[in-house]
Amino acid sequence: MAVPSRPRPSADDGALLGRIAAGDRTAFTTLVDRWERRFYGVARRMLGQPSDAEDAVQRAFLRVYVKAATYRGAWPAASWLYRIVTNVCVDALRKHRLEPPADDGAVAGAAAPVRSDRRLDLAAAIARLPVEARTILVLRYAEDLPYGEIARVRGISVNTVKTQLRRATRALRRRLVEER
Amino acid sequence: MTPAPDPTDARLRAALAPPPPPAGLAARVLRALDAAAGGAPPRVDVAASAAGVVRVTPGTGRIDAAGARARAWAERAAEELAEYFAGERSFFTVPTDVVSLAPFHRRVLDAARAIPFGETRPYAWVARRIGAPAAVRAVGTALGRNPIPFIIPCHRVLRTDGGLGGYAFGLPLKQRLLHLEHHTPALVGCATTRILCRPGCPHLARAEESTRVVFATVRDARSVGYRPCRTCRPT
Repeated sequence: MAVPSRPRPSADDGALLGRIAAGDRTAFTTLVDRWERRFYGVARRMLGQPSDAEDAVQRAFLRVYVKAATYRGAWPAASWLYRIVTNVCVDALRKHRLEPPADDGAVAGAAAPVRSDRRLDLAAAIARLPVEARTILVLRYAEDLPYGEIARVRGISVNTVKTQLRRATRALRRRLVEER
Repeated sequence: MTPAPDPTDARLRAALAPPPPPAGLAARVLRALDAAAGGAPPRVDVAASAAGVVRVTPGTGRIDAAGARARAWAERAAEELAEYFAGERSFFTVPTDVVSLAPFHRRVLDAARAIPFGETRPYAWVARRIGAPAAVRAVGTALGRNPIPFIIPCHRVLRTDGGLGGYAFGLPLKQRLLHLEHHTPALVGCATTRILCRPGCPHLARAEESTRVVFATVRDARSVGYRPCRTCRPT
């Protein structure tokens, strides 16, 4: 499957955060351009509805703007940015008790082939996972982050990341087997 | 030997492949930044008795309290309100003194207090909660005469259709408070101590910004090794 081209996180992100902290508006614009796909990807997969995802992305970028000065460079800027967007999405899930995410194929409706229905089922099953497990799953499978970085983003141990992922994938795998 | 790739992995990657952002998202983010800029936090006068806060009114930061105990309550309330307006507090620890109010008024304010931070309820919900479902209008009037706004969160009560309803201090301030609560996380853990707090807890105040992780529920936090703080008792 072709992976859509999107800017990769880079060492420059840390420098951009430094310039944002100093009030450089152009640096913020550059960071938004570089990170909007990733922020939106995480928010959409965690929250489901495009409007909720867009609201979360806006809140996350505002937080980046306000908190840029607190980035100390102790770990990569990418982890810090993923921490911000996941924090905002997790809080949104608490506050709005959002509906489970619908898969993009949801619009396919009755005419959709069986495979789309399966995708829908899988998306619904993912939406039923506890918030932490879902967040870790999104960081792993949508954003392709290594275990160590997921652990840093969520402030947990690598072993907890592995346990959560194992439990989540086991539950989903059971569901896939039941479908057959 | 490399293990065979797990087919579930491929399906998960396909199901979770992030969709592209909508057109113009970056421009809207920049506009939101401009809209969020400016607006000094509200300044308030606080009056207190020896039992707790009696009155909060828009003002200039004046404290009205007779006696050391009353003064301590008023000063604590002013401090907590400043943190709340700065988006660093989601609950108040200062007691309130509403004994001079009529029983109906007190029941309405107690119901408003039960609305969690960051959430809203309709006027009709308050009326039902106090066992007077037909008294929606009287509920609105009682909330409008809330002597301790912000601390007793009458701004979290809206019309059933989602409209803002009224607010004694003006609808722009009501809107602003709801926006503020929307942007302030409710449960925050410290990645160093693995303790879960509510913003405003002294334990969290000592945690560096870069160690803060937001959680949706206490149960979620427990599931990844965090424990609830014994001081602020998050729920």
